[in-house]
Amino acid sequence: MSRETYEAPNTGSGSRAPALGRGNAESALGGEGPATQYKCGDCNAQMKLKRGDPIRCLDCGHRVLYKERTKRMVQFEAR
Amino acid sequence: MARNTIIPSQVVIEQRKRVGIQLETVTNVSGTDFPGNYPDEDHAWDVIKFAENFKVEFHTLAPWDASFSLIGLDASVANAFRRILIAEIPSLAIEWCFVNNNTSIIQDEVLAARLGLVPFTGNRVGLLDFLKWYKKPAEGEEKVEGTDYNTVVLDLQIECTHNKDAARNERDPLKKYNNAHVYARDIKFIPFGRQAEHFSGENAIRPTNPDILLAKLRPGQVIDIQMHAIKGVGSDHAKFSPVATASYRLLPTIDILRPILGQDAVKFKKCFPAGVIGLETVTKKEAAQKGSGYEGHEGEKKAVVFDAMKDTVSRECLRHEEFNKKGEEKVKLGRVRDHFIFSVESVGQWNSDEMFLESIRHLRTKCESLKADLADLKMKGT
Ligand SMILES: [Zn+2]
Repeated sequence: MSRETYEAPNTGSGSRAPALGRGNAESALGGEGPATQYKCGDCNAQMKLKRGDPIRCLDCGHRVLYKERTKRMVQFEAR
Repeated sequence: MARNTIIPSQVVIEQRKRVGIQLETVTNVSGTDFPGNYPDEDHAWDVIKFAENFKVEFHTLAPWDASFSLIGLDASVANAFRRILIAEIPSLAIEWCFVNNNTSIIQDEVLAARLGLVPFTGNRVGLLDFLKWYKKPAEGEEKVEGTDYNTVVLDLQIECTHNKDAARNERDPLKKYNNAHVYARDIKFIPFGRQAEHFSGENAIRPTNPDILLAKLRPGQVIDIQMHAIKGVGSDHAKFSPVATASYRLLPTIDILRPILGQDAVKFKKCFPAGVIGLETVTKKEAAQKGSGYEGHEGEKKAVVFDAMKDTVSRECLRHEEFNKKGEEKVKLGRVRDHFIFSVESVGQWNSDEMFLESIRHLRTKCESLKADLADLKMKGT
């Protein structure tokens, strides 16, 4: 079973607002690293957060956020 | 043999076959019919003798549920059949799950384990003859691509949504949402190659029990899994076992030693499951008989054994003084050591009776290969 090592789904589907690229994010907010997609645990809103960002929903202020599941296929043995 | 062999009477033989069931103990458990146990009696195993005494009786025979008696068999052989039924007859089950998406509350690995346990049915010829073994790669080896004659592809794609037609104050999730419950029937079979020849229309591979609950969803949650099913045996994993139950029990016996009359008879009847004990009236003839215990009881109710096979051997009757007073026991419980009541319940891929025949075939092949090995050993020894 070669289970791939986990990689944050940073690039996402691309259909939403353009991801905050490394370049402009650093210049705008002083943060670093790629933005990661999260979902609010209360209102289900989607948002992208970078390192150093407050862990907080931008819409409702809820402090529990969920990371999105990998888009890759994961193989399991049914036992 | 120089000495004359003694042939024991039928009564003695029947007595020896009885397992005694007392209030807190079980007596006479092991068989004694082996060579050398009784002086001057011949207990050597003989095919002709066996064939003369062996009997098969069917009680129920439905495609997926059979009950029958094997009479005159040794426990070791009966147990071999049971074990082969459970662990060595092949059947189809899901082995790999390819999870593309699963946002439901149930974790991937738990869901995969659940999917593996779902029993499938379909065209019998296709399942038993067309489908062959999938040879699993050894540890560390690359998985070999399956083909149409050893792998079955199944798909589960389901998404939960709000039901627009539901009442505003609806509280039942099944009405409020679409696909709130994921059932085994939502698993779809995808034929490829020559599989369509055997599995199409009503012969398609499908879950035996369509109402097995696999997961629960809420709006926005999705399950998208592709599955590969292969043939395997129960000794590898219980999901491959072709039987729900394959078990046997010994035939119970109930001997009424002294008459049980009147209110006692009614109480005695209540000690057993329905249909085991019946009530009859004491006839004039019986009452007239000296020493029968019925004298002066004409017209009263007496307890009679109707069908001991239905007894569960709960021993309830032995708990009551009136039936089990020391020295004047009115009843004797027992079991017949060589009467096996089998119950074989198939889970959908084999017919129960065919499956039992298959277990006999398995035991034969084992015996033949052992015989060949022994012959080989002899040749090497000389
Ligand atoms: Zn929120």
